[in-house]
Amino acid sequence: MVQSKKQKYMFLAFCLVPTFIMFAIFTLYPLFSGLYYSFFDWSGSAQNKEFIGLDNYIKLINDAIIPDTIIHDYFLVATKVIGIMIMALFIAVALTQLKIKEAPFYRIVFFFPNIMSVVVIGILWTFIYNPSMGLVNSGLEFLGLESLARPWLGSETWALPSLVLPSIWAGIGLFMLMLMGGIANVSKSYYEAAEIDGANEWQQFWKVTLPLIWPQIKISILYIVITTLNGSFIIVQVMTGGGPNNSTHVMGSYLYQQAFVQFNFGYGATIGVMILVLSLITVLILQFLMRRDKVEY
Amino acid sequence: MKKSVGQILGRTGIRIPLILWSIAVLYPIFWMFLGSFKSNAEIYRNPWGLPETFNWQNFADAWTNYNIDTSVFNSLIVTVVGAALTLVLAIPTAYAIERINFKGSKFLFTLYVSAMMIPMVLGWIPLFFLLMDFGLLDNIFGLAIVYAVSQLPFTIFVLTSFMSTIPKSLEESASMDGMSPYRILWKIITPLSMSGIITVTIMNAIQFWNEYFMALIFLQTEGNYTLALAIDYISSEAQYTNAWGTLFASLVIAIVPVIILYAIFQQRIAKGMTEGAIKG
Repeated sequence: MVQSKKQKYMFLAFCLVPTFIMFAIFTLYPLFSGLYYSFFDWSGSAQNKEFIGLDNYIKLINDAIIPDTIIHDYFLVATKVIGIMIMALFIAVALTQLKIKEAPFYRIVFFFPNIMSVVVIGILWTFIYNPSMGLVNSGLEFLGLESLARPWLGSETWALPSLVLPSIWAGIGLFMLMLMGGIANVSKSYYEAAEIDGANEWQQFWKVTLPLIWPQIKISILYIVITTLNGSFIIVQVMTGGGPNNSTHVMGSYLYQQAFVQFNFGYGATIGVMILVLSLITVLILQFLMRRDKVEY
Repeated sequence: MKKSVGQILGRTGIRIPLILWSIAVLYPIFWMFLGSFKSNAEIYRNPWGLPETFNWQNFADAWTNYNIDTSVFNSLIVTVVGAALTLVLAIPTAYAIERINFKGSKFLFTLYVSAMMIPMVLGWIPLFFLLMDFGLLDNIFGLAIVYAVSQLPFTIFVLTSFMSTIPKSLEESASMDGMSPYRILWKIITPLSMSGIITVTIMNAIQFWNEYFMALIFLQTEGNYTLALAIDYISSEAQYTNAWGTLFASLVIAIVPVIILYAIFQQRIAKGMTEGAIKG
C-alpha cells in the first residue's frame, strides 16, 4: 500500500465523521435529551422549565388513561400478530406449494398496500367504515344484517377493533414475502421423504414447513411487534385521533396529544420513555420465549 | 402419485380466499380512483359504483383551490433532497465500515443498526426544539434533513451488505495504480454499488413521499405542508364541506407516483424491503 497512516486516517474521518455528527445531532442527542426532559415540568418556553424530579413518573402511574393506552397498544400487537401471521402463512404456503399459475399476480397485489402512505390507507378505511355510505354497513345491509351495522369508528367499543383490519390489510404483503423466501429455501427432498413416509399435505405443513421456516416466523413476529409498538399511533392519529372519548388512544398518540396539543412537553417525554422501556422489555421477553434451536434434519 | 378428488377440489378451494383477498385489496383502491371522477352529489347517491361521467373537475379543484399544487411541490423537494442527502451521508460510511479495518467498526455498525429498532417518538420532542433553535422548524429543508438521518441506519445497513459482494481485487489494483481512496470510492465503489443504491433510494423516496407524522409535528403553516398533511387537512375539512370528490382526487395524486414506481421497480422494492426486515 502506498498511502501513509495519516492519509488513511484522513480518509476514514472523511467517510465517518460528517455522517456521525448528523446522526448524533438528529438521532442520539434527541433520544438522550428526551430522557432528560422527562424530569422537567415544561410548557415549551425556556422560562417555564422547572426540574421536578420524578413527579412526571408519579403522574404517569396515577394517570387513568395510561393503562388504557398500554392495553390498546398490546391489543393491536396481539391481533395484528395473529391476523397477519395466519393469513401471511396461508398465502405464502398456497403461493409456493400449490403450483397456482397466477401466483405472481397475487404476490404483486398483496404486497402493494405495504408501500401505500398511512394517510391514504387511513382515509380509505375511514370511508369503508363510514356509517351511511361505507362499504361495511352497505355490505351488511345487502346481506340483510342491518342490525349489525353501526358507526364503527364512532363507537367506543368498536373503534379500536376496527383499526385492526386496515393494519392487517396494509401489513400482510411484507410477511407473505418473508415467509415465501423461507419456504423457497426448504429443500424439496424433505417433502419427497415425507411423502414416501405417507405424510399428507397437512402433516407436511406441520412437520416440515413450519419447523424449517421457524426463523422467518420468529423474525416476522418480532418485526410486527416492534413496528406496532413504535408506529401504531400513526394510523390511530389519521383514523380516530384517539377518540371517541380516548377509546383508541395508544401510547404514541397520547404522547402526541400531551406534548404537541397540550404542550406538556416534560410529561410527553415521560410517556416516550415509557414507550421505549416497554418496547425493549417486550422484545427481550419475546426473544426469550421464541428461542428454539434451529431445526435441521 | 394419483391425485384424489378431494385434492383437486382443494386446489380450487384454495383460490377462493386468494381471490377474495385480491378483491379486498384492489377494490378500495379502484374505488378511490372512481370516486375522484364523481361529483359530491353522486358520491352520496352512489358511493361504490362507476361514475356516470368521467370529469376532472375534482382534480382541478384540489390543484388550485386546496393548494395541492404547493404541497406536491413541497413533497417533491423533501423527497428528492432527503433521498440525495441520505446517499451522501450513507455511502462513505457504508464503505468505511465494510472495507476499511479500524477499531470500533463493529461497534459503529451495531450502533447504526440498533437505531432501527428504537422508537424515535421519544426523540421527536427534543428534535422539535432543536429544529426551532436551528431555524429549521416549519421548514421543508429541515424536514428533509430529519428524514435523511432517520433513514440512515437502514440505508447504511443495505449498502454495507451490498458492498460486501464487490470483489476486493478491483480496489487493490486501483490503489496499486496510485488512485486515491477518494477516487476509488467515487469512481469504482459507487458505480459498482449502483444497483443497491437505486434499490435503497427508491425505498427511501417512497418512505419520504408517504411520511405523515414527522411532517405533522415539524411543519406548521399551510404553505409548507407536504402532500400527506394537505390530504389530512382536506380530510378533516371534508367533515364540514363534504368535498369528498376533492379528497379522492388528492388521494389519487398522492398514490399515482407510488404506483408508477411499484410498476417499474416491483421486484427491487419487494426484495429490498424483505431483506431489510430479515437481516435487521
